[in-house]
Amino acid sequence: MGNQSKKKGSLFSYIWKYKFQYIIGLLTLFLVDYIGLFIPQYTGEITDGLTSHTLNSSGIASLVWKIILCGIFITVGRFLWRYFLFGTARKIECELRNDMFAKMETLSQRYFNNNKTGDLMTYFTNDLEAVRNALGSSVLSCFDSIVMTVLVLYKMMTYVSFKLTLTVIIPMGLIAVFGYYFGEEFERRFLKKQQSFANLSDHVQESISGERVIKAFVQEEKQLKEFEKINENNRQANLHVVKLMATFGPSLDFVVGFTYVVTIIYGGYLCMIGNITLGRFVAFNSYIGSLIWPMLAFGDSITSISQGIAGMRRLHQVFDEKAEIFDQENVDKSIVLQGKISLKNVDFAYSESLPNVLSDISVNIEQGETLAILGRTGSGKTTFVNLLCRVYDITSGSIEFDDIDIKRIPLHILHESIAYVPQDNFLFSDTLAKNIAFGKQDATMNEIIEACENACVHDNIIDFPEQYETMVGERGVTLSGGQKQRSSIARALLKDSPILILDDSLSAVDTDTEEKILTNLKQIRQGKTTIMIAHRISTVQNTDHILILDEGKIIEYGTYEELIKLEGVFKTMVEKQQLEKQLQEASLEVEYNG
Amino acid sequence: MAKITEEVIETSYSGNIFSRLFVYMKPYLKRMFFCLCLVLLITVFDLIKPMLIASAIDNYIEGYNHPYAIVSQEMGEIEYHETYLTKHFEKESVTEFAQLIYYEDDYYFFQGLSLKESEILNKISQEELKDAVLNGTTLTINRVYQGEKMDEEDLKILRSADFKGIIQIGILYAIILLLKVICNVIQTWYLQLTGQNIIFSIRQQIFKHIHSLPLRYFDTNPVGRIVTRATNDVESLHQMYANIIVRLFSNAILIVGYAVVMLSIHLEMALTCFALLPFVLVLSVIFKKISRKIYRVIRTKVSALNTFLSENISGMKIIQVFAREKEKYEEFKERSQDLYRSNMKEIITFAIFQPLIVLISNLALAFVIYKGANGVLDDSLTVGTLYIFASYISSFFSPIQSLAEQFTSLQNAFASAEKIFTVLDEKNPIVEQESPTILNEVQGKIEFKNVWFAYENDDYVLKDVSFTINPGEKVAFVGATGAGKSSILNLIGRYYDIQKGQILIDGVDIKKLSTKQIRSAIGQVQQDVFIFTGDIRSNIRLLNDDIQEESIIEAAKAVNAAHFIEQLPNQYDEAVTERGSTLSAGQRQLLSFARTLAYDPRILVMDEATANIDTETEQLIQEALETLMEGRTTIMVAHRLSTIQHADKILVMDKGRIKESGTHQQLLEQNGIYKKLYELQLYTE
Repeated sequence: MGNQSKKKGSLFSYIWKYKFQYIIGLLTLFLVDYIGLFIPQYTGEITDGLTSHTLNSSGIASLVWKIILCGIFITVGRFLWRYFLFGTARKIECELRNDMFAKMETLSQRYFNNNKTGDLMTYFTNDLEAVRNALGSSVLSCFDSIVMTVLVLYKMMTYVSFKLTLTVIIPMGLIAVFGYYFGEEFERRFLKKQQSFANLSDHVQESISGERVIKAFVQEEKQLKEFEKINENNRQANLHVVKLMATFGPSLDFVVGFTYVVTIIYGGYLCMIGNITLGRFVAFNSYIGSLIWPMLAFGDSITSISQGIAGMRRLHQVFDEKAEIFDQENVDKSIVLQGKISLKNVDFAYSESLPNVLSDISVNIEQGETLAILGRTGSGKTTFVNLLCRVYDITSGSIEFDDIDIKRIPLHILHESIAYVPQDNFLFSDTLAKNIAFGKQDATMNEIIEACENACVHDNIIDFPEQYETMVGERGVTLSGGQKQRSSIARALLKDSPILILDDSLSAVDTDTEEKILTNLKQIRQGKTTIMIAHRISTVQNTDHILILDEGKIIEYGTYEELIKLEGVFKTMVEKQQLEKQLQEASLEVEYNG
Repeated sequence: MAKITEEVIETSYSGNIFSRLFVYMKPYLKRMFFCLCLVLLITVFDLIKPMLIASAIDNYIEGYNHPYAIVSQEMGEIEYHETYLTKHFEKESVTEFAQLIYYEDDYYFFQGLSLKESEILNKISQEELKDAVLNGTTLTINRVYQGEKMDEEDLKILRSADFKGIIQIGILYAIILLLKVICNVIQTWYLQLTGQNIIFSIRQQIFKHIHSLPLRYFDTNPVGRIVTRATNDVESLHQMYANIIVRLFSNAILIVGYAVVMLSIHLEMALTCFALLPFVLVLSVIFKKISRKIYRVIRTKVSALNTFLSENISGMKIIQVFAREKEKYEEFKERSQDLYRSNMKEIITFAIFQPLIVLISNLALAFVIYKGANGVLDDSLTVGTLYIFASYISSFFSPIQSLAEQFTSLQNAFASAEKIFTVLDEKNPIVEQESPTILNEVQGKIEFKNVWFAYENDDYVLKDVSFTINPGEKVAFVGATGAGKSSILNLIGRYYDIQKGQILIDGVDIKKLSTKQIRSAIGQVQQDVFIFTGDIRSNIRLLNDDIQEESIIEAAKAVNAAHFIEQLPNQYDEAVTERGSTLSAGQRQLLSFARTLAYDPRILVMDEATANIDTETEQLIQEALETLMEGRTTIMVAHRLSTIQHADKILVMDKGRIKESGTHQQLLEQNGIYKKLYELQLYTE
């Protein structure tokens, strides 16, 4: 047990942490329930006093004051238990949320490839909500309904009449039983209703997305007919729920009312033969009223507790997920990387059942060298740089940095030593300045501007009304593909790491700007290692080595001159691109003249 | 100032909205009226219930206050130790009476009294029995009157008449309950049915209307927004038709009903109850305002946190590669805590207000009891009346509180209605003539005469474009992106109306033709192939059941799609999804060819795919195209040299104008843009 409570994500450990809040909450809840029972009793005493004429004006006043005191106490108590029970549930929810996010940060890319973002989001939304409800309102209603039922029944039996209480236990028990089954059935029908609504939404969504096809094939009327079916289906599902609601609510009313009938007849009888007083009879009536809610809540709380348990089970899937890529024990935390990289016979496949994406890759990159990688789509270029960043672990072979095996380098140090410009240029919804300083959060404004100037994006940024404070993303300016790409380059340059990786990062940049950026790179990356994936020959012209990948294998490797001499794939590429360039110029000329 | 005008607009709108919402209710007016009557009945039943209990208390449980007449055997209702008693008598005909007196939780029976004595005895027992001596089982009052203590058995006999009364009330109560259940079931069911029917027809209407809107509408409105109109917005109207209207009515009736009944029973007590009303109202209104504000804050924080989460889960790779886990965690934690703090604010607000409202109703109860009990003491009130008021007070407050809630929901429904009506009011500028010319058969001749077209304002995409395509001809449009090629394809099916010039099909202006007919005659092959959720078969025939199974297979075979379809596990029944992710780009293209062929159009309009397709599929597509174009007027935006070369006519477009036109050979001889383009492609292919 002790072991379990230490484990992150075990619900018990969170509850244990807040045991005092729970105890205080439940205790006040108990007291509130208990004191609440006195109000009907005092009302009963007043009634009795009035009928037996033993009560005078001051007696009434003192009983009324007691009622008021109870009322005030209940108000304070209700505030306290709400604060402690609901507040603690919220607190645990918040902690679970934070821990879950921290856990996700340790998981490898493979996990995120296998799980869609939307699915991972549901852990944070639906599942967490189910857990929180179980921890807050279900604990409350379960505890409350049990305590309330016991207390009220006890009061009914002792203060009023044992026999009379027995006669109302049966209908009240019926409410609990029916309430429970109703809850289950309701849940089932409600789910169906939700499902049919989702179908309806999907259909509308699809039909509007396919508007062009619908119009082109003149399908409007047929779509409407199709929609009618789904619309009708949705109507039926709704009515199915309504049927249950329309009968359950009034039936509940009837059962409750029926207990009143029993009370009037049997209670009235007991009253007449002097077995109970009129006041107790009146009090009994209000006790029945206070039994209805706990009866209904009990069935409800069972359902929501079981949902909470299911939710927690799903959260455990996250907490129990093993991080694939992590630091080995006793890694040397003082390593400083210089920028030498060597790969030996590296094989890599995304999973055992899938074919190799990279096979038998061996290459040496000296410190300060610039390597260009070329190849068709799907040849394994991005995978190659992903392996260097240890986004995945290789299947076989070895990757070494400064002759140290990649697995012996602390992840944090490895990542700090690599500046990476990804293909998709992911930027966060934050200001441009913060996005660019992402890798070096203590960067000064001058450093940021310098990086942007080197990435040739400074001029664009100062054209925005809010310049470096411009928000990126939905709420802000939409950057063009090229602007994003260059911002993402600036982000990597600012990091000034011994290794820079550019994954096809100049594709959306025009040739002039590309030239400028390449010149800047050459200057600031002197003595530092740079790897760039490219498509254009112009990009790779001035690199130290060029590597050509095809279907996961190295097919050509060497300097620019060496590869031209080879008269292979690279040479054909160069020739083709040169011709294209010439033609473009010719076409422009024609346009000018025409 | 701005705010005032905004409000003015809103209010000037609401009158309109109300009458339009009412129109949907019209077919159900009788039914709704019937339901309201039922609600009225239910309210009356609710009012009667405490009264019944009060009458049970006053008339029967406290029935010992009434004297018994000692009568002959025939007249007697109760036989007690060979004397015959009744509670129903004529004062003049009876001489001897008996009286039950309640003293210190016990009943004593006094016999042989006159009516006057009986009343005096009862009266002094009601006040305070000063001169009462209990000797064994005999109680002596004022040293004159002697009564015997009654045990349970005696009381059972003596009070059997009261007991009969109680049973009658019990039965009455049960009948009322039953009636109420019936009314309630019918009322709820009918109203919900009405609501669902109204919603059903609004959905049909909005769906139909959306599909009648021009493509321009879909260019400017995101799909998500349009979907919300037909789904969630309509749903919130349902709440209004099925619940809110009736609840508003029933609550109003309840409040008035309670008020009237309370006033009629006891004026002073009723006014006492009303005096507490303003407190409850004010508190409820304040609470509503605060809780709504907090709720809104929480909503934005939740969605901000979710956006942050989904963004960071998508960007986890960047976070990890930049070693920013710690910083991002801190950022997340901060947002998470921020949400937690707002949640706590909500909890505290609810924790303060809800108990406060309960406290006020408890205070009201205490107040009513105090006032009422004193009333009983000075004989201006019976215990039963006190019971009525005590039980009314809580029932009286709840409809008042829910009224406030219902007004909020009504506001939401109106807001949704406004959005729905805005969509419904959206006009389609592409109007057909009242009696459009129907061509016997579309031949497929297409003419553009000095066509000017802009998607927006004066930003012309086509400038003075003229050309003629004869039936059966194949024409290719060539040019850079943005030259206006795709716009020409859109205009032929009249998806947009042109600003200047004329477009004619078979010599008739398309504005005079039936859009339905021309669109049916045109087969569109689009670059971006849309696949509907369903199976392969349903994607070829779409929703047209006239297309036979054989035609589907034939079409698939003709365009080379049959080959891949037959390799699918379920062949033509293979399920496909909206994004068509199970099919490759090439396969989707072939599937769309089959779709087009199955509809057998006269005119073929094609935007050739540029997507990367492997050479084998590419070959299949080329062959399929040949089949598709056979005997059809074909207009295409072409990218592949081979396709272009085989066209009867090539039109070279640049910046919205036709720059060159002619056959492949003619254009090459012209030595213009086309020749350059041709050379460029020749080398790269």
